[in-house]
Amino acid sequence: MKRMMISGNEAVAYAALHAGAKVISGYPGTPSSEVIGSLMKKPPFEGTHIEWSTNEKVAIEVAATCAWAGKRALCTMKMSGLNVAYDSMIGIAHSGVIGGLVVYVADDPGTTSGMCEQDSRGFALMSDMVMLEPGSVAETYDMVKYAFDLSEKIQEPVFVRSVTVVAQSHAVVDVEDRTMPDPSVPVVKKDVNKYAKAGAAMCMAQHQNCIDNLKKGAEIIEKDGLNKLHLGKKGGIGIISVSSVKPYVEEGLNIAESMGWKREDVSTLEAICTIPFPDNEIRKLLEHCGTIVVAEELEPYMERQVCILAFQTGAKVRVVGKLDGTLSRIGAYNALNVAKGVMAAANLPFDESIMTAGDDVAAKSLPRPITTCAGCPHRGTYLAINKAIRNAKLKKDEVIVTGDIGCTILGMNPPFNTVWMEISMGASIPCAHGFYFAGVDKPIFATIGDSTFIHNGMPGLVNAVQHNTNITVIIMDNGWTAMTGMQVNPNTASEFQREGDVNVDLVELVQHMGVKHFYVTDPYDLDGMTAVLDECLTIKGLKVVIARRECAIQAGRRKVKYAKMHVDENLCINCNVCINTTGCSALIPGEKNVHIDPNACNGCSLCSQVCPKKAIIKEEI
Amino acid sequence: MQKQYDIYIVGLGGQGVLTIGDLLAQAGLAKDIPVNFYPRKGMSQRGGFVQGQLRFGSSNVGASIPRKGADLVVSMERSEALKCAGYCKPGCDFLLYDDVWVTTDVIAKREKYPELDDVKAEIKTAGANLYCLSSEHLPVVNGVPARANMFILGALLSNTSLKELFTLDEIISALQNFMPKNLESNIAAVKAGYECALKAE
Repeated sequence: MKRMMISGNEAVAYAALHAGAKVISGYPGTPSSEVIGSLMKKPPFEGTHIEWSTNEKVAIEVAATCAWAGKRALCTMKMSGLNVAYDSMIGIAHSGVIGGLVVYVADDPGTTSGMCEQDSRGFALMSDMVMLEPGSVAETYDMVKYAFDLSEKIQEPVFVRSVTVVAQSHAVVDVEDRTMPDPSVPVVKKDVNKYAKAGAAMCMAQHQNCIDNLKKGAEIIEKDGLNKLHLGKKGGIGIISVSSVKPYVEEGLNIAESMGWKREDVSTLEAICTIPFPDNEIRKLLEHCGTIVVAEELEPYMERQVCILAFQTGAKVRVVGKLDGTLSRIGAYNALNVAKGVMAAANLPFDESIMTAGDDVAAKSLPRPITTCAGCPHRGTYLAINKAIRNAKLKKDEVIVTGDIGCTILGMNPPFNTVWMEISMGASIPCAHGFYFAGVDKPIFATIGDSTFIHNGMPGLVNAVQHNTNITVIIMDNGWTAMTGMQVNPNTASEFQREGDVNVDLVELVQHMGVKHFYVTDPYDLDGMTAVLDECLTIKGLKVVIARRECAIQAGRRKVKYAKMHVDENLCINCNVCINTTGCSALIPGEKNVHIDPNACNGCSLCSQVCPKKAIIKEEI
Repeated sequence: MQKQYDIYIVGLGGQGVLTIGDLLAQAGLAKDIPVNFYPRKGMSQRGGFVQGQLRFGSSNVGASIPRKGADLVVSMERSEALKCAGYCKPGCDFLLYDDVWVTTDVIAKREKYPELDDVKAEIKTAGANLYCLSSEHLPVVNGVPARANMFILGALLSNTSLKELFTLDEIISALQNFMPKNLESNIAAVKAGYECALKAE
């Protein structure tokens, strides 16, 4: 055992190692990436297979069949990843498992990472799965271990759901030693009634089994006392808190007291999970309290259950939460949300202004649109698209450029303003396809990164190949899954693949997908790439361009030497075209001329290629 | 029982904002003070908004500091300091390191960068005791300018309520155990910051 300061995500990794996981799979996604990311930084764990899978659906299938073979497995993803995995997830839940299967999903209330603010608890409801919701780093460690045991007891996969503030927080945990996974050769029993779906009888039997197993899970959780119930003043206020809101209750009561609430012995239910609902504990609260505040982030799942049980038991209890309009369905909570609920329960006024204190001052700060890093190869792609549009005598607001998830979406921001939209992983190509068949008569571009293409972009491209859609697809291939923290993907160069893994080259892959008009270009060569795009705009049918250049951050980390740039002060007329066109943070404005921060410059030379006076010069290496 | 002590710290990617948080959290671990450190960097690479929240005193504490709840606020950039006003507990200490990072829009005169006096006025209106440092104060160690984050950490230890939580020696010991790289110059920077006697403005 070792006392360590670790993040919530690392706690998941350590707990899985201690639980003897045989397979750990996942796809990167903020705020969940550091589970596998932290394991990959360490030397290989003999006996445990750890992989970044091509997408979350693949990852859950890999982990589930490990569990079907009787071994323990962990699968990790962000909330959007669960949407991808869910097609298989519900089928796996209905089949059940043999070995423990823990599915770790991290939601992002407050949207720190720019994705849909979704509440993944809804998925647990839909597939009748236990979803444990730890509210702190230490609890995360305990709950992942518990989830493996529970999964084996009820023979079902178990979710552990975290949220950004827990997954990315750092706190002290007593980390136990790793347990070696069971080394025996698995015996997989052929059982179509359990593992297949083609038949009404087997499907309904599996569904019933899954419902029964959730009930078993609820009984075990209640017996183990995971949901902490405290009954206080009879007829007084009760607070049900869920997940990351639990630790805010005491602080919220203190704030309410400072706002004029007279402290009483409040009844509390700290729920470790929403699903299965802690029905018996809720019933006790309904019997005991006059008013119940339900403090949960995002959707009112727990609150609705409280209302249903109140209706069933005939309890005359007032429920304060989202359904009566007191609390918000948007954003991450803190102690103030609890205080607000308590004030409402006590019929006391709550000064709403504190919830947004300082927002007026913050609004005066300088906007900082997220842009690409110095030397980012994507910059060349955006500049080439913009230039090709001009060359075709078209305006930027009449040429649709669909975008995708990852760094490649940064082209929506100034100074490029190139990319129009994003939906989900891989959507860029079908979106362009749809606009074309809607009758849009101007050229249409789709832009997508290499990892996103492999994740879910390939079905869209095959669709476009089949229908010979008149669009230009640009795959921005920087060799890494960059935005989530530089993970390896199948297209990453061989030298960075883990031992035993092989590189799947994107150029070969796309070439063999039946694309007739296929180009490979270098986004650091602005004229060259623009000429390719100019040509694409003259060809009818599907064109695919791979813009290939390694991510500048990764290249820099392993000391790839590009010649740095410097400004010839005699030639620079300080027109700032370089700054305004590229928006590169290495370009520093000056009184008489622009200069280049040598520490920031990654040597992409795009500034030199847009300089009208040829005043930016490559240094010798 | 340790009193609850909350620190809200902001800056931009590349300034080492979160390293201050890491060090303070490690110092907490060494001293057995319960702490939750929530670093938030969102999608920022170099130059994006970075925020850290440290909550000392209880192991059962939520990660986010409520508005008007921070005992100590630190901003490593002038404009970003405006994002902290809402978190100042009346009477808290606020250290502003007056670094200036402009954007392309400022260069192109599409946006105006906030004036120092205006920023100071907003912080004081929020009820904080304001201390200011600028890059001019930054010492040179062995011919290289010291790292601003280490310098600020030192200044916090001698000038703000952080001194009630940690001593200079405890922070140096956290540096030795946790950040062996550039140790000598980092210790020099922390000490130089510690020597700065700042007056509340």
